[in-house]
Amino acid sequence: MTAAGASDGVTSGGATLTGGSADVGTSDGGHPATAALIAARSTAVLEANWRKTHTVPAAGLYPHQWSWDSSFIAMGLRRVSPRRAGQEMDALFAGQWDDGRLPQIIFDPHRDQDYAPGASFWQSRSIPGSPRHAETAGLVQPPNHAWAVWKIHQADPAESRRRSFLQRSYPKLVHWHEYLSGRRDRGGSGLACIVHPWESGTDNSPLWDTVMTRIPADCKTVLNRPDLQHADAGERPSQKEYGKYFWMAERYRDHGCDDADPDYPFLLEDPMFNTLLAVSELALADIAAELGLPGEAHAERAARITEALEALYVPELGCYSARDVTDGTVVPKATINGLIPLLLPDHANTDQLLETLNGPRFMDGRALMVPSYDATAEDHNPALYWRGPAWFNMSWMVSEALERLGRTGQAEFLRGNIGRLAAQHDFPEYVDPWTGAAHGTRSFSWTAALALETTYHRSAL
Amino acid sequence: MTLITVQEQHLPGTSLEEKFEYALAWGYDGIELRSAGDLKFKARLPELRRARNAGVIMPTACVDMTHFVGAFDGELRRDAVVQLKSQLSVMAEIEGRGVMTPASYGMFSKRLPPFIPPRTADEDTAVLMEAFSELGEHAAAEGVEIYLEPLNRYEDHMINTLADGVRLLKLVGQDSVRLAPDTYHMNIEESDPAAALQDAAGYIGHVQASDSNRLEPGAGNIDWALFGATLKSIGYQGTVALESRLSGPAEDVLPRVPSLLGRYL
Repeated sequence: MTAAGASDGVTSGGATLTGGSADVGTSDGGHPATAALIAARSTAVLEANWRKTHTVPAAGLYPHQWSWDSSFIAMGLRRVSPRRAGQEMDALFAGQWDDGRLPQIIFDPHRDQDYAPGASFWQSRSIPGSPRHAETAGLVQPPNHAWAVWKIHQADPAESRRRSFLQRSYPKLVHWHEYLSGRRDRGGSGLACIVHPWESGTDNSPLWDTVMTRIPADCKTVLNRPDLQHADAGERPSQKEYGKYFWMAERYRDHGCDDADPDYPFLLEDPMFNTLLAVSELALADIAAELGLPGEAHAERAARITEALEALYVPELGCYSARDVTDGTVVPKATINGLIPLLLPDHANTDQLLETLNGPRFMDGRALMVPSYDATAEDHNPALYWRGPAWFNMSWMVSEALERLGRTGQAEFLRGNIGRLAAQHDFPEYVDPWTGAAHGTRSFSWTAALALETTYHRSAL
Repeated sequence: MTLITVQEQHLPGTSLEEKFEYALAWGYDGIELRSAGDLKFKARLPELRRARNAGVIMPTACVDMTHFVGAFDGELRRDAVVQLKSQLSVMAEIEGRGVMTPASYGMFSKRLPPFIPPRTADEDTAVLMEAFSELGEHAAAEGVEIYLEPLNRYEDHMINTLADGVRLLKLVGQDSVRLAPDTYHMNIEESDPAAALQDAAGYIGHVQASDSNRLEPGAGNIDWALFGATLKSIGYQGTVALESRLSGPAEDVLPRVPSLLGRYL
C-alpha cells in the first residue's frame, strides 16, 4: 500500500534519523528533539514528492497536482522553502480556466495511465475557456487557496514581496472566488454548490449517499482502477461508486463544464467548502490590505457566506450539514464537514459545535484525531476513507479553529497527535481515530506538510 | 550543531588569531584554511599550532593547488596525493576534521574543445579509486577525513554531480572518504538540489556555500531556505564553509551571510 518509491525519501536521512520510527511513536510529540525528528522526516517526504513545479499528493496513488492538496501542502512547504510553496501555487494558477475556476487536477502528461479519470477522459483542451498549456480536470476542489497564499506570504514577507507573489496571486484568487460566488451559486442562496463528490474533497462522505442513490452507475467509460494498485480495495470507494462518479463527470464534461445543465442531479451546498470560501475571503482582505487595495468587499462577502451557512445548521445534530439544492433538503448526518465552520470568527453556534466536537459523535474524550463521520452512526467505519477515519487536514483545521478560540490545550493535543501519528506511521493518508492505526497510502504529502506545520515552532527550539 | 565558517583569505588581519576575531565578530563560528602545495601547508604548522592553542576554530582545509589527484600526468597525480596526505596529517595535528579536494580543477571539460578526454571514464575511475583509497587509509590512520568536492562540468570532467561522487565513494568504501557538496556547482549540475542532498545524505562530510553566481550566499538566486531545511532534514552535523567571491568589500558583505544561513540551519 506504500506509494511506490515515495518512502525512500523518508528513511534516507543522515545517521541520526535512521533506525525506524519507534522513537517517534513512543516519545512525547511536544518534546523539541522529537519535534525536530518529525520535522526532518516531513521535509524528506515533501522533497521526495516534489516534481520541479509542484508536489504530488503521493508518488504512486496520486501522480498529478491536486488543487486543495497543493494548498495544504504549501502551508507546510513554506517551512521548507517559501519559494517552493509559492511555485506550488503558481503551478496551480497556471491551470486556471478563463471563467476563473481552479481545476481539481492539473495532469502530468507523462502519468496519464496511472490515474483515472485522467487527461484523456477530460480532454480539457477541447472545452472552451480551458487553459491552452495545461491538461486539467473540469471539476474543482474546496477553495483553501487564498488562505494558503496568505500563509506563504507570512512565512517570508521579504521573499514574497521580492517575487511579487501577492500581486500576481491576488487577481487570480479574486477571479476564482467570483466563479464560485457567481456561476456556482446554483441555488441563489449565497453559497457555492459542488457538482460532484470529488469537489468536496471528501469523496465518499455519507453526506452524498442519498443523492448518490439516484445517480446512474452506467457510465460510458470503461472503468480502470489504477488506485487499487496502491491501496487496499476495502479502503477505497467501491466499483459501483466509481461508476456513479464517472457518470457525473461525463455528464458535466459533456455539457462543456458550463454549470448550466438544468437537470444536473448533483448540486450540493457543503458546509466545509463554503467555510473555506469565507476563510479565503478573509485572507483576500488581508492580502488586499498588504497590497494597499480596498478589502472591505472581501470581509463583507465572508460575512454573507457565514450568514448564509446558517441555513445548513442542524440543531438536533449540533453541527452543519450539506443541502441538496435540487430539493432544498439538508442531509441529516453529522460529518467532519459540518464542524469546519468552527474556523469562522464571531460564530453564533460555536458553543454547540464545540460540544458536538467533544461529544459522542466525534472526539468523545477518547479519539486521537477527529473522526470524519459520526461515531454513533451504525455505518461508521474507522478504516474506510471518508466514512469514519481521521484525516490530518481536517484535524489540523480543527486545531487551527481551537487555537483561535483560545482552546489551546485541545489544539495542542490535536497538533501533538498529528505530528506523532504522521511520523510513526510513515505519513499515512488517514488513520483510525481511536487507535491511530494507519490506512490508505503512505508518504502522503499533506500529512507530511501539516505534521511539519504543527511541529515547526517546537522543532526550532 | 552545524558550524558556519569562512575561508581565511577573506578575513582582514595578519594572523589567524586576528582573522578569527573578525570571523567571530561577523557571526562565523570558525575559519576554513586554504592548504597550498609544495608542502607549504605543513610549513605553516607553527602558525597553525599557535592559532589552535589560542582557541581558533579551524575544522577544515580546502586545497589550494595547481594539480589534483585526478591529473592526467602520473607524476602530478602522485604529488597531489603526497600533498594531501601531508595536509591531512597537519589537520590531524591541529585537531581539525579534514581536507577537501576536487578530482581535478581546470584540467579538462567535456563541454569545451577538444571535448574528448585522453582517458576513458573507466580509467578516470581507476585513477580516482587508487588515490582516494590511499588518502582514505591515511585519513583514517590520522583520525580525520578526506572530502571529495564535485565540480561543475566546465571545471572538471570526472565528478560533477553528488551522485557521481557517491558512486566513487561506494567503490572506495571507506568511512573516512566523504562528499563535500558545493552549492554553486550543485546549482549548475543538480536538477533538484534538495533531492540530490537527500540521496547523498549518508555520504556528506562537509559543505561549501556559494551562490548561483559564485558570490557570497544571498548575492545570487539559490534557495537558502530549502538548502537549510534539507541539511536539517538529513541530520547534517558538519561544517558549512563560505567559499566564494564577494559582491563588495568583505566587511560589508560577509557579516550578512551567517544571519542568512543561520536563519535556516
